[in-house]
Amino acid sequence: MRVLTKTSLYYLLVSLVVFAVGGTSFYLMLREEIYDEVDDQLFTDKENIISYIRQHNRLPNVTSGISEAILVRDADPDNLIMEQLSDTLIYSSYDEEDIPFRQLTFTVYRQGKPYEYTIFKSLMDFQDLTESTVLAMFWIFLLLLVGLVYVNYYINKYTWRHFYDTLAKIKSYTLSRQKPLELQPSSTKEFEELNQVLQSMTGKIHSDYLNLKEFTENVSHEIQTPLAIVSSKVELFMQSENLTEEQAKLLSDMYGAVNRLARLNKSLILLTRIENREFKSKEQVPLHRLLQEQLTHLQDIISMRGLTVELEALEEVYLYMNSGLADILLQNLLNNAIKHNHQGGSIKVILTSHKLCIKNTGEAPQDQPERLFNRFHTGHDTVESLGIGLALVKKICNLYGHIPKYSFSAGEHSLCVYFT
Amino acid sequence: MKVLVIEDEEALKESIVAYLRQEGYLCDAAVDYKSALLKTASHHYACVVVDLTLPDGNGLNIVRSLKENYENTGIIIISAKNALDDKITGLEVGADDYLTKPFHLSELNARIKSVLRRRNFNGHKVLRVGEVEVQPDAAEATVAGKPLTLTRKEYDLLLYFVSNRNRVLTKESIAEYLWGDHIEMLDSLDFVYTHIKNLRRKIVEAGGADYIHTVYGLGYKFTSP
Repeated sequence: MRVLTKTSLYYLLVSLVVFAVGGTSFYLMLREEIYDEVDDQLFTDKENIISYIRQHNRLPNVTSGISEAILVRDADPDNLIMEQLSDTLIYSSYDEEDIPFRQLTFTVYRQGKPYEYTIFKSLMDFQDLTESTVLAMFWIFLLLLVGLVYVNYYINKYTWRHFYDTLAKIKSYTLSRQKPLELQPSSTKEFEELNQVLQSMTGKIHSDYLNLKEFTENVSHEIQTPLAIVSSKVELFMQSENLTEEQAKLLSDMYGAVNRLARLNKSLILLTRIENREFKSKEQVPLHRLLQEQLTHLQDIISMRGLTVELEALEEVYLYMNSGLADILLQNLLNNAIKHNHQGGSIKVILTSHKLCIKNTGEAPQDQPERLFNRFHTGHDTVESLGIGLALVKKICNLYGHIPKYSFSAGEHSLCVYFT
Repeated sequence: MKVLVIEDEEALKESIVAYLRQEGYLCDAAVDYKSALLKTASHHYACVVVDLTLPDGNGLNIVRSLKENYENTGIIIISAKNALDDKITGLEVGADDYLTKPFHLSELNARIKSVLRRRNFNGHKVLRVGEVEVQPDAAEATVAGKPLTLTRKEYDLLLYFVSNRNRVLTKESIAEYLWGDHIEMLDSLDFVYTHIKNLRRKIVEAGGADYIHTVYGLGYKFTSP
């Protein structure tokens, strides 16, 4: 959840609680005041009635005073109510509903005989007042709430804008891009500190990365010449007439090792060059045609291993990429399918507009499939391979945003590249 | 036939020169840009092998000046840079071929021969070893006049052998020559053996002598009688 949403939600929650408590206590206080007022009026009426009886020695008219109604009846001498306040509902046939009343019941002696008086006062007006007040309060609160949340949201958004800017820049930042991280200065102290820390950190990482990259590049390039010298000397040596078998064996081993090193070096240079995005020229590459060319090229190796190739689907697919890299991609995928196959196995090729799949029979992988795309990781230790082919595949896919996926089921390896 | 090797790395230059001299070429060498320009200006070479990165200049300029003055000279670039762009520029400027270091001397030799053939030096249109004849223009081979039915790879192999006759060819260099970058294939060396076996059999069946010999531990040799 975004920090803005979160603070707004908390704000809303707290406001709701405050308003609910405030509203309830306001209502209670209002009611208390009204009851107080009504009760006062009822007591005043009571006093008036008692003094009227004393003066005139008879009951007052029903309509006199403030009270809406006076009910008089003979009191039950066993159960005299001296004074009692209570709420009651009286059905009004005019309004066709129960109307709340406050009633005061008391007993007065006239000519030695107790009479029970009940005077009523309607709470209707007060209830209307309460309702409209609460309603008004509700609208005021609601407006206040919306306004506050809105203002809060925009103020937060404004103050956090540098933070979001920084976040977006870090997200899109990649080391391999040549530019250092540039962040907008902020007037907020915390954000400014964050920016400074990030900038110095990425600056350091970037320069370390550049140094390391330069070192690797130089080493790879400088190794080429000595390798060429060693290889050529051994080759010349091999042409000597009188080599013993033992010497020949030594030379052959040396030659093999130098060749392996040379191939490894070439692959590493290629990887670095892809990382450096040196393959700039792009064109619409006819993948289906390249695929068929590669298959033809590999035909003799495929048939010598007794493999069968099945073209399950071959649609016309044009990818916008470097044609050299497209070749390398297909070459490594096919090599992989041949290399990790068993005698008499099969290779299935599927090329559609959204994916390229190469499936081959072979032994189950020994460990986690994700690691197959790592450098120098070979599925089987016995195989004399460099373990760099799939790393190249991944690098090329990354460069153009395609997604390579590996899976294994029912004795079949499946390597797919999903085009995007 | 005169060949000039321009390579600043002394040890590598010596290897190339030694190998080419054994091959019967008159071999000259230059270790820097200036002396290379001087040599190309004063002599006419059939073929020039040039390294692009020289201490005092760019080998591409030598290629350009050669193209202007001696259009007929075959040019092969050898470079430590495997950059595709360099390759394309090199070929565009007028080089005939491009080899990336490290390379096999036998491969360089085969490429030189192919360039010379294409440039029609010496009129070596047909390569002949004993009864075996290879016509690179037609991509055909005959044994004692009888055509040999060869697969594409077997023909390439024969051409490679004939270009490097009496030389020990390693399995690695053969594999690389036949499959290029597909060399990474783990058992391509066994495929080399299979191809050689087939080629040998076909030549013998067509009535030729058994020219291809296994050199123990090292590789194969195509010996002329």
